[in-house]
Amino acid sequence: MNKLSTKIPKKPYPSPLIYLGAPLVLLFTRFSFNKIGFDWEKFKTNLDNRHIVTDPLFDPKWSWAIENTALPLIETIQIAILASLIGCFVALPISFFASKTTNPSIYTFALNKSFLNLIRTIPDLFWGMLFVAAVSQGPFAGVLALTMFSLAIMGKLLSETIDAIDPGPLEAARATGSSQQQTVFSSALPQVMPNFIAYFLYIFELCIRASVILGLVGAGGVGRIIETQRIFLRFDRISPIIVFILAIVIVIEQVSVYVRRKVL
Amino acid sequence: MKDIPKKPINQTITKFIISIVLIFLAIWSASGLEISLERLSKAPQLTWTLISALYPIDLSQEALDRIIPKVFESLYIAWTGTVIGAIFSFPIAFISAKNTSVSIKIPKFLTNKNYFIYSSQFMKQILNIVRAFPELLLAFVFLPITGLGALTGTLAIGIHSIGTLGKLSSEVIEGIDEGPLEAIKASGGSKSNELIFGVIPQVMPTIISYWLYRFEINLRASAVLGVIGAGGVGQELINQLRFRAFDRAGTVLVATIILVLSIDTVSGALRRRIIKGKSVTVEQN
Amino acid sequence: MIKFENVSVTYPGGVEALKNLNLEIKDGEFLIIVGLSGAGKSTLLRTTNGLVMPTEGEVHVDGQQITKSNKKELKQIRSRIGMIFQTFNLVNRTSVLKNVLTGRLHSVSVIRSTLGIWPQEDKNIAFKSLEQVEILEKAYVRASNLSGGQQQRVGIARALAQQPTVMLADEPVASLDPVTSRVVMKYLKKINEDLGITTIVNLHFLDLAKEFGERLIGLKDGELVYDGKISDVTDKDFQNIYGRDIKSSDFIGDDE
Repeated sequence: MNKLSTKIPKKPYPSPLIYLGAPLVLLFTRFSFNKIGFDWEKFKTNLDNRHIVTDPLFDPKWSWAIENTALPLIETIQIAILASLIGCFVALPISFFASKTTNPSIYTFALNKSFLNLIRTIPDLFWGMLFVAAVSQGPFAGVLALTMFSLAIMGKLLSETIDAIDPGPLEAARATGSSQQQTVFSSALPQVMPNFIAYFLYIFELCIRASVILGLVGAGGVGRIIETQRIFLRFDRISPIIVFILAIVIVIEQVSVYVRRKVL
Repeated sequence: MKDIPKKPINQTITKFIISIVLIFLAIWSASGLEISLERLSKAPQLTWTLISALYPIDLSQEALDRIIPKVFESLYIAWTGTVIGAIFSFPIAFISAKNTSVSIKIPKFLTNKNYFIYSSQFMKQILNIVRAFPELLLAFVFLPITGLGALTGTLAIGIHSIGTLGKLSSEVIEGIDEGPLEAIKASGGSKSNELIFGVIPQVMPTIISYWLYRFEINLRASAVLGVIGAGGVGQELINQLRFRAFDRAGTVLVATIILVLSIDTVSGALRRRIIKGKSVTVEQN
Repeated sequence: MIKFENVSVTYPGGVEALKNLNLEIKDGEFLIIVGLSGAGKSTLLRTTNGLVMPTEGEVHVDGQQITKSNKKELKQIRSRIGMIFQTFNLVNRTSVLKNVLTGRLHSVSVIRSTLGIWPQEDKNIAFKSLEQVEILEKAYVRASNLSGGQQQRVGIARALAQQPTVMLADEPVASLDPVTSRVVMKYLKKINEDLGITTIVNLHFLDLAKEFGERLIGLKDGELVYDGKISDVTDKDFQNIYGRDIKSSDFIGDDE
């Protein structure tokens, strides 16, 4: 029962990448951690300071908040609405150009795709800072910044969806002699419409959150108020604002889920 | 001749209503913000002015000495934050997933039947709460406590990552094929055998790809956190913009883009390789 | 020996999967169970190794009572019972060898198995099992890269690695083509004859049952309606077991 008649195959060696990679990762983690400068003693003393934050945090000043933040909150929402609408609709044509399925021309494809990849690398707040510098403070900068933000995300999501659609109907349309434009409109667009709507709602939610943050750098909305209050450590005024924002986000999330279910 | 079927009215009406609502919202927002089409049309021009001010970027030694270390700081913050997120979210994910959660039995005399409390029920809620707070907000709250600097950013990113990774990982665990687990049980294996030989091999590739994706996102977040002083390159950008040193701002932007692009590329390639699994092995036929 | 004494199984939803089943299976028997889906075949198999507990009655396996066994004893019983499944239940991303080694988990310490340091003896048992189903050369191939028939053979090897006294096969060939199905059935028969392992196979293809069976059990709505030699079975008996006329889908046919 001990001798095998067939030969045991050779055990394949795991690729050397793993042997290199694992210790590298560990070393780099250790290195990064050190660079961040974690001082346990300092951390402990700092932790005792938490009352500066936690005490006012749990003592919300509701009336102040309602009085002073109602309008800015509406402004925040308006920025998100405009930006997501403009950004997503502008992204539509660009996405079709950025997908091999619907764009036979290599040049415009490369152009659009690189454009999308590039704008994706810039964080939303950076856009905010740039546009504030360009068009001065205020909600206009916020709208422009979030438009780029929405464009970037919708562009990526939509172009990847277009990449994955069934090319069959497109071929059929071309075979009947329609132009590329007509083909895209009649055969590709309907296929991705449900996805577009779902992405739009998702991006709208993201824009609401981002719009709050953009206010930090002066791009309008309730963020500016939060920033000023923060500097004075008035967390008692900030906490009700956070609650309002959470409430808005939850409501929008519910609506979004409902609409998504209806559409898909 | 048969009647040509009428297009269902409902569909058209819904589409019509939705379009009207959207247009109304757009106009309401635009007027509320005092943004006219005229203003919008001026935007590209203004943006172009900005971009041309950014270029040529400042590549002087002085500028680079200031900016490059900050760029790397963002990298360290993002990496450490992701590592923290990965390490803590892993066990939490198992406790949160319905099929691997821990349970306590409520004794029979309190209720008629055997009643179990599952850890997954409240763990999921906890994760949802943690997830709801964006990194910036967390950094906000931590700043007075942990002070200016990279630590605050790392904590904020780390904790938020635990929330998102925890939720995503628990969903992966819930989605596995239970068949291999049954086979291990049938051959006399223990629960931990089932976990290690049945669950882990199925979930690891996807979970690791989530860690990498999180790293990509955290990199952007860490760049941003600098704006409120939580470390990283954001601080530099806002300073340069405030002092209207646009060429240096351009440097910061370019440096950030290069960092993000390179990490995205490497991470993306790694993720694809992991999901695909090792290419078909030596033995074929 | 396996003995079912007045075994009934009622699932929480109210479904009565087995009704008052009485059955005795001697060591070394090759038993085939036929019946419609939902007739109770899978349930019967799973009460043998305690994956499903009888709601009434008792199952005895080699002298031990399933319902009265604690966790540790159940594990011991299960380690002596090998099981193969319709969907193979292999861990797809792992190698064939690692899959077979999970059959040795009951005798290897947790630490060693988790770290992947398997004792040489267990590895040898795994290799031998792979050789018995003639698939040793694929030991390091990823399980999902194999064909259906090969995967089922790995499943058999995994069960063999347990060095079991009983082999349970739950619709082992339902997802395989006719030729491969016969190959798998031949292996099961061979193992039963060479190693004397008591084998219970659930099938829904009647021609396969006739080709490979010795003793045939028929289940209908959770009740035992037929128990006899395969040579004695008539088409009328099959109709009785199924409660309807026999259809062509009840035969796997030949691969033309």
